[in-house]
Amino acid sequence: MDFGLTETQELIKASAREFLDEKSDSAIVRAVADGDSDAITALWNEIVELGWSSLIISEEHGGAGLSFSDFAVLLEELGASLAPTPIVESSISSWILERFAPDALKSDLLPQIANGDILITPAIVERDASWDPESTKVAATPSGSNLVITGEKRFVAFAEQATHALTLVRTDDEELTLVVVPIWKSDGVEQTPLSHASGVPVSSLSFNELEVSESNIIATGKEATQAAEELVAAGGVARAAQLAGLGRAVIEATVEYTVNREQFGVPVGSFQAVQHHLANMAIAAKQVTHLVHSAAWSFSPYGYSADTAAQAKIAASDKIAELCWTAHQCHGAIGFTWEHDLHLYTRRALAWKTDYGDSAFHKSKLANAMGL
Amino acid sequence: MRFEFTPEEKNFKSQLSSFLDDVLPNDWHGPADESRDDHWVLNQDIKKGLAERGWLVMSWPKKYGGSDSSPMINTIFAEEMAYRRAPGHDRFGTRMFGPTLMRFGTEEQRKKHLGSIARGEIQWCQGYSEPNSGSDLSSLQTRAVEDGDDFIVTGTKIWTSLAHRADMMFMLVRTDPEAAPHKGISLIVLNMKSRGVEVQPIVNMAGVHSFNQVIFDQVRVPKSNLIGELNGGWRAGMTVLNFERSGIDYAAWARAALEELVDYVNSDHAEVSTAKSDATVRIKLAELHMEVEAARLMCYDVSYRQGKGEIPSAEASMSKVAASEVYLKVLDYGVELLGMYGVLESGSNQSELQGRFFKMRLFYTSGPILAGTNEIQKNIIAQRGLGLPRK
Repeated sequence: MDFGLTETQELIKASAREFLDEKSDSAIVRAVADGDSDAITALWNEIVELGWSSLIISEEHGGAGLSFSDFAVLLEELGASLAPTPIVESSISSWILERFAPDALKSDLLPQIANGDILITPAIVERDASWDPESTKVAATPSGSNLVITGEKRFVAFAEQATHALTLVRTDDEELTLVVVPIWKSDGVEQTPLSHASGVPVSSLSFNELEVSESNIIATGKEATQAAEELVAAGGVARAAQLAGLGRAVIEATVEYTVNREQFGVPVGSFQAVQHHLANMAIAAKQVTHLVHSAAWSFSPYGYSADTAAQAKIAASDKIAELCWTAHQCHGAIGFTWEHDLHLYTRRALAWKTDYGDSAFHKSKLANAMGL
Repeated sequence: MRFEFTPEEKNFKSQLSSFLDDVLPNDWHGPADESRDDHWVLNQDIKKGLAERGWLVMSWPKKYGGSDSSPMINTIFAEEMAYRRAPGHDRFGTRMFGPTLMRFGTEEQRKKHLGSIARGEIQWCQGYSEPNSGSDLSSLQTRAVEDGDDFIVTGTKIWTSLAHRADMMFMLVRTDPEAAPHKGISLIVLNMKSRGVEVQPIVNMAGVHSFNQVIFDQVRVPKSNLIGELNGGWRAGMTVLNFERSGIDYAAWARAALEELVDYVNSDHAEVSTAKSDATVRIKLAELHMEVEAARLMCYDVSYRQGKGEIPSAEASMSKVAASEVYLKVLDYGVELLGMYGVLESGSNQSELQGRFFKMRLFYTSGPILAGTNEIQKNIIAQRGLGLPRK
């Protein structure tokens, strides 16, 4: 057992903190939430430049070839700063391409992701809001060397910025197909923007007889289900890593507030009732961090632990949301205001809790893994 | 980052596991009830067996008969023993008094006591809490008055586990009532067979005689039994508590209990046969599985940090709180899951899982209370871990 960070990870963490302190402060987070999409583009361009968006793309395809646990360390910092950037969407898509796509598609898309020419976001969920691949209804009909896709995907993050969506469709023979579809200014794709608690762009995508080349297919049949399951697991661990960082940031802010805020002539942080709230928050954040590291460590180019991945997302979803609510209680009235930043964290935590399978979804997965 | 044991650690775990396979009765469920003579005999046999294999005090330095094993190996040892609910893990001697003696005792005292602990011959107990001194331990009142070459000890200790089986006690006594509370306390050792020592059993709410009240009526103790400096007992005594504070036992007990529940739900012989197809049962057991693993990782993190030479005080407190709480959650859920059967006392006709969940739930009400209440642990987390101000 080694709970320490490697030299590379320490370096990632330090440089991420330094960059994000400046580039993802609350003014930027608020601007993006108010619809400033130029701010998203500016931040994303710098992140591509830093090589973060290609951290887990293999060297062969123009990335840094680092591990999923290295990525998790970066995501904790991005979560702590609420960075409004599509790094999870892009990196999870590239991870699934690396793991499942045919060589030609990999060599085509991965280098373009690495250099920022394209941005892929997962579009999995439909009207029933389920992350279960089996609930897919969006239809694809073969036509020559193309698939013709019709139907609606919902809750697609950064669809406004993305050039492509990684989406799951059902073909006429009832088989699932995982395919990359071009959405940027595509005829046959209509976006409906949603007003989402995450404070980043989230939309629904309507495909109306969208023609996609068969060469864009990542996987079909059982393999498509397996790939979609891995996408949800990896996305869940990535969100859990962001939530771990977010939780840490909320604890730091709450400690600072309760040490400085005085009532009855003493800091409110000297009261046992407040200290016990914070101790509970510290335990929760620590547990989530350990489970995230353990889950991220299990991801390799050969597979992952479904059991641990589910645990990480369950813990992060439940514990970090609760941690945020406790932080509001510790902040008193000021933490209830629009002006104070705390609700930005809470909103993000509540949104991330639902992404890539909520707690109930992953508990059901975990129960399966336990033989129940 | 690495989330697996080393080959050496895996090997040790499997050796210990086979030893326990051999020595535990086939139908063993534990935990041991030390007031039962047959369980006490088993306790002594296992302790001797562990000593013969060099495992009982492997955490000790080589010069005292140990093998300087790593904190992670020690945790694996404690975890496996607890997971099997095996008795014979003499924590008072091997993990609390022994290390304290190495640090604060004289060479003569070490020679006298360490060997017998290492061989599993002498049973120790711990005399700290008193009827009026629990969490506020430094207010303790048991007096030791100097009289020639002896101390004369008078007072009462309470919640003393194993006092009814112990040969020796290490205890905190007040040697200077005029000094500030922390500065008038000394650490001494006392022979439980001394004249004037009376052990009164206390039966806990689970119906088990696990601890005692011990009354000292002018007990003569030679001054050579003082450990460390006169009136310097607070520091020595607190060292013991640092060895004591970890959640690994609870995390292991919780894992064992959860596995029993999963097996029960999946079994074709469960009277509560509806549990198998109940989605809420699946969801709840999955949640508990996550909680158990989270607590377990916290305990491993403490060992990892200790292995690097750190003293992870706040982390140790976190692991104790998390693990003792999750164990009670598992036991609570076991009782709930068994429905009407859940409240059958152990030994009842028609009980399920021998009524053990109900008994264990009552027994481990003590978890968040003993070895520093979870409220005290949270103070430590907030003040030492997060830097919040002391009142």
